[in-house]
Amino acid sequence: MTAHPDAPETAAATYVFAVGRRLDPAVLAGLTGLAAGSPVRGLTFGPLTAVVQHVPAAEFTPEAWQERLSDRAELERCARAHHEVVTGAAACGPTVPLALATLYRSDDSARRALIADTHRFAATLDRLEGHAEWGVKVWVPAAAPERPATTAAPSRRDGGGAGRAYLERKRGLHRAREHHHDRALRIAEDVDAALRRLAAAARRLRPHTPDMTGEKDRVQVLNAAYLMTAVGEKELLDAAETWRRRTGADVEVSGPWVPYSFVGEG
Amino acid sequence: MTDVVSGPAAPPAYGPATTNLADILERVLDKGIVIAGDIKIDLLDIELLTIRLRLFVSSVETARKAGIDWWETDPALSSRAARHELREENERLRERVTALEAGDAAGSAAPKSEAGA
Repeated sequence: MTAHPDAPETAAATYVFAVGRRLDPAVLAGLTGLAAGSPVRGLTFGPLTAVVQHVPAAEFTPEAWQERLSDRAELERCARAHHEVVTGAAACGPTVPLALATLYRSDDSARRALIADTHRFAATLDRLEGHAEWGVKVWVPAAAPERPATTAAPSRRDGGGAGRAYLERKRGLHRAREHHHDRALRIAEDVDAALRRLAAAARRLRPHTPDMTGEKDRVQVLNAAYLMTAVGEKELLDAAETWRRRTGADVEVSGPWVPYSFVGEG
Repeated sequence: MTDVVSGPAAPPAYGPATTNLADILERVLDKGIVIAGDIKIDLLDIELLTIRLRLFVSSVETARKAGIDWWETDPALSSRAARHELREENERLRERVTALEAGDAAGSAAPKSEAGA
């Protein structure tokens, strides 16, 4: 940290939410951001504008973030606030979101860093103009662990029929599970392949595991993001409906998102 | 960019802003443009992200359990917890062996502490 305890620069850090071309101050004024009482505003650099906010530096140190990441309510608040500002800014035109917690010691420091990346921002804005991200998740029923009918065969010493029947049942269950599994994966691949054909770009995200979703009765087999034009959106929704009917799987669509998943990075 | 799409019955999450925290977290933590900030925060560890999602999204987690004690009791994350679990299982098995060796009461010794974690 710098050694001017009373300078405003040490009291406030500059948090950067997103970058766009033109931002409407009126749109930004309605947003809360991450620090109450400090306006969400535009910071111009070269031909572009960043959406920024002053936040109390002491609350945004790396140590504070590590703590924040293990505090459910606090992490949720920050994630939603970040997302709300990004989404709000996007109402003004093409916007590229920055990852959560992009922080600088001052506006000047932020401007220097952003300027250095102007070309990258401009290229990304050009590429994403007129597009929105849509999320699609496919769920299938969790394979119900069917209990083998316990036909209590009389245990006779000759023949071992009970043992064989038991093994047969086991094998049958195993086959049923495998079949369910294969079918689920095939549905995921088919849906993804069909939607990719409609999209300008597509990405697979990590499916959410049952302990993340808290869902007992269904399993997520596809979690994907598609970059769509306005025309493509209608097609995507129709296709989702078609696959729902065709497979019986839950096909959930969310969107439109600011294209977080398509800014050209990992 | 919010085009109103009329069409087949849209799923409930439909709209410009989903309320699903997992969806928001995976985007704001793991996506978006990354540029070097003055303040370095390591948010990009995918494994940690997954763990965090488990922490924060799982409907069975209480807010209190999402604290540090959770890390210490999940065997997947803590070898200490794993050892603890093994020890507990060992104790249960010993109890049963003792019960069996006392075995004149075949099966009448109701096994104690059969309850799974």
